[in-house]
Amino acid sequence: MALDYRGSQGGKTAAVPGHRTLRDSVEERDRTTAATGHYYGVTELTLRDSDPIKYERFYARLHSAVLAARESARFVAASPGSREMGECLWGLTTPEGDTLAVSLGFLSHTAIFPVSVRYMASKDYDVNDGIDDGDVFAVSDGLTGGVPHPGDFYTFVPIVVDEEVVGWSVGINHLMENGAPVAGSWATFSVDTFMDGFVCPPMKTGTKLRQSQWWKALWERRTRAATMNILDDKMRLAGCAMIHEATHRLIDEFGIDYYKRAIREVIEESRRMIVDNIKQTTVPGTYTGCAFRLVKYKGLQNIWSHADKNTLIHVRGSVEPGQEGLSLDTEGSSKWGYHSYNATPGGTDCAVFLGMINSFGHNTKVTAGIDLAIERNYPSGSIYNPDNEYTSNANLWAQTIAINSVGFNAVNRAMFSRGYLEEVFSVDGNWGAFQGAGTTEDGTSYGFTNFEWLGGTGRGAYCYKDGEPLIWAAWSQIATIGDAEEFESTVPPLFYLGRKLLKGYCGHGKYRGGVGNSAVHWIVQPGKHVALTRPNGGLSCTTAVGVGMSGGYPAPSSFMISARGTNMSEIIAEGGETPRDARELLEMVDDGRLKVENLEIWKTDCPELAFDENDLFVDAAGASGGWGDPLEREPSAVIEDLNEGWVTSYDFVKNLHGVVATQNKEGEWQLDESSTVALREEMRNKRRQESVSVFDWWSNEREKVLKKDFVPEVNQMYAESLSFDKFDREFRDFWQVPEDLVFENEEE
Amino acid sequence: MAESQVDKDLIRQLVEGDISEDNVTRLQKMSRKDKDRFFQYVEVLQEKVPWDEKILLRISDKLYVVATQEGDRIVKCECGHEFGDYRENWKLQCRIRVRKTLEEFKEVYDPEPACPEPGWQEIREYFCPGEHAAQLAVEVVSPGYPIVFEMLPDLDVFYRDYLGRPLSDESSQWYKDQTTNVTQSWRSRREAH
Ligand SMILES: [Zn+2]
Repeated sequence: MALDYRGSQGGKTAAVPGHRTLRDSVEERDRTTAATGHYYGVTELTLRDSDPIKYERFYARLHSAVLAARESARFVAASPGSREMGECLWGLTTPEGDTLAVSLGFLSHTAIFPVSVRYMASKDYDVNDGIDDGDVFAVSDGLTGGVPHPGDFYTFVPIVVDEEVVGWSVGINHLMENGAPVAGSWATFSVDTFMDGFVCPPMKTGTKLRQSQWWKALWERRTRAATMNILDDKMRLAGCAMIHEATHRLIDEFGIDYYKRAIREVIEESRRMIVDNIKQTTVPGTYTGCAFRLVKYKGLQNIWSHADKNTLIHVRGSVEPGQEGLSLDTEGSSKWGYHSYNATPGGTDCAVFLGMINSFGHNTKVTAGIDLAIERNYPSGSIYNPDNEYTSNANLWAQTIAINSVGFNAVNRAMFSRGYLEEVFSVDGNWGAFQGAGTTEDGTSYGFTNFEWLGGTGRGAYCYKDGEPLIWAAWSQIATIGDAEEFESTVPPLFYLGRKLLKGYCGHGKYRGGVGNSAVHWIVQPGKHVALTRPNGGLSCTTAVGVGMSGGYPAPSSFMISARGTNMSEIIAEGGETPRDARELLEMVDDGRLKVENLEIWKTDCPELAFDENDLFVDAAGASGGWGDPLEREPSAVIEDLNEGWVTSYDFVKNLHGVVATQNKEGEWQLDESSTVALREEMRNKRRQESVSVFDWWSNEREKVLKKDFVPEVNQMYAESLSFDKFDREFRDFWQVPEDLVFENEEE
Repeated sequence: MAESQVDKDLIRQLVEGDISEDNVTRLQKMSRKDKDRFFQYVEVLQEKVPWDEKILLRISDKLYVVATQEGDRIVKCECGHEFGDYRENWKLQCRIRVRKTLEEFKEVYDPEPACPEPGWQEIREYFCPGEHAAQLAVEVVSPGYPIVFEMLPDLDVFYRDYLGRPLSDESSQWYKDQTTNVTQSWRSRREAH
């Protein structure tokens, strides 16, 4: 395809007195929107109402340009995440960076566009350096660009008409490797931004739809997967060039005045629709949720002594649907810290918008309207808005996905109350991935990321049926785990022995969540070196969300197992069975079939794990949560789970669901109805006997609170969260403890 | 699916969990939801529960905010158990069982490496004090964590502005978290001992 470069018609922006600058645009957008409550003060959709066909034709052209960009450009890519899965996105924005249309892919990344443009405007990029049509900008910084983590890389191409920026085409994908001390694309052990790898605040890297040669040198010298990264960079730019071209043609056809007015109407129209959807499908009120995540750095950060500590991150969110949309307050969440899980407001938006776009943007144009309909409070100093400019946000996504789940579950509770049960399910957002680097026997070095358990996870139980495995991904509409062979080709010494659903690995309830996934990787011919780490969204030491739905259990989070020093060569030589998932591996170790010198189970961040010939690396992720009282699960559904192999242990389901079954000669489970009725009655009695009134529990627990009788990580978590007034008030009101009860912050 | 095709019977199937996959898909694919769903839903629920108080809102599988004859708005279980004023977190009137050890976690999470870590987390199960001892909520939180008030609806705004049918007993006092009243009374009760 020949991309016809038309920059000369645009003309470079410059410091012409009286000329409209990016700063003017951003300021006017902020002022008029705030003053009127309507995007850019657009109170009447005059173009739409006067000629709706023309207006929709205009939008269809924009939309088809971004859709086409993805479907063509991703075949330029080298990384499986972009080519095969949903790990990329293209969009078109207004001059201010407000989204007009996006392709398929990870759509909530629209959140960062206005952050990057605001930064460029505030630093006078267009006045000082000038911005020319078809220039190329790179962005991967959290603070200045709003980027969720530096593994996500953005290309911005301005569309300039008559010396004025009139739009941006934007392309994004998740890199295979971004050059941090911890190899991969989420530098899990970073303690500040300087360990986050290759991080770019908005910077001009090319002109006339071409990257500069020096830019290629940076990929080659500052990342461990240059070939993939350079091809991905070309992919982003190719898509941007297509959108750039299409937008110029559109402006030629409709005229610049129509374009300028229509883009504002598009955003205002979708804002209205989202507000209307919120009123049509939710119930106003206050919905509160929480989640926890343990950062286990103690003993692993000896070089960076200030980071050598454990942190229990507290994620707290309350959601209030109101008159003009919905608000999210994160006050009470932890402070930022010397770890890789800090967020920025842009990155947090990126997570929070997932549930909001899914819930309220499905029947309208996906634009910056969501930004205007969802009010967010990220208190300064908190993990969502650090009052320190050098925090690491390398693994932001692992933590912010929990605040999305809190918000998404709030919406689901509201829709449940409203009666739109078909939409209502339990949200967890567990994901897993692994990353690392190696050197082959011939001395070639490489870096990698395996995205598979980001591609597809279980969907939580609905309030009327079980969740399904694999078919959901909170961050993309395209749930696919990609081909095993693709990932094998990017990590030469790792071979899949198994890649399958993990029985019983879900949150249980009246309806259970879709089970999660597990894979076993066998290390063969590791060359000189191969090692990996894992940046999971949720680690099984805590559940992904803290509050289950209607008596169901929230999903268990991810874990991994390293089995180093094995008898795999003998097993293979004898043609014996090899493990295909985490459970099989643990069983084979237990019964002695698999011999392992160093077996480690990781429920928290694992340090870099180096592997030798015949070692095994096993992971599990993507489990989802249950709904409702497990004693009310339809007995026939429990029998079906046993017979179809969704669960492994009869004793486990018997004690959880109160179902009695017998196994016939063929091994098939059959329900014993009368014993089931009796067992359920017995279990109800047991509940009564084993429980106490909340008053009694409160009285005892209060003593522990007064004595701060908790593990150090929990005390530290309260010290941080109680420094925010709203949670402090709630905590003291709930426990009725005096102001002079202070949890000490170790840092101070 | 056209709005008129969403009838009470279909909503009943959704509530009971015996709706067909096809119908679920059709409901999910509606571009705009049927506007009168809420009132049909409440009718279905009102027919289902064994008591007569008017349902104002369903807040979980078994719990409802209802209007009493005395003019109160309380949380009531489908079994008939009453939890008191809906502005006070109903969990405080439950029975509670707390799992603290790995052995206890393993009864609800499987396989073992998937279990939360004792000390950092505990599993709280909230049961209805009524005859059926139903499990109404689960929390997996750190020890010492205040019980989460999952949802406090703003009923007046809901009925007036979202549904367009205002309630007759509107008051600015209805949308106010009153849970502290309970914990304050508990403290007095403790101190009286
Ligand atoms: Zn009850």
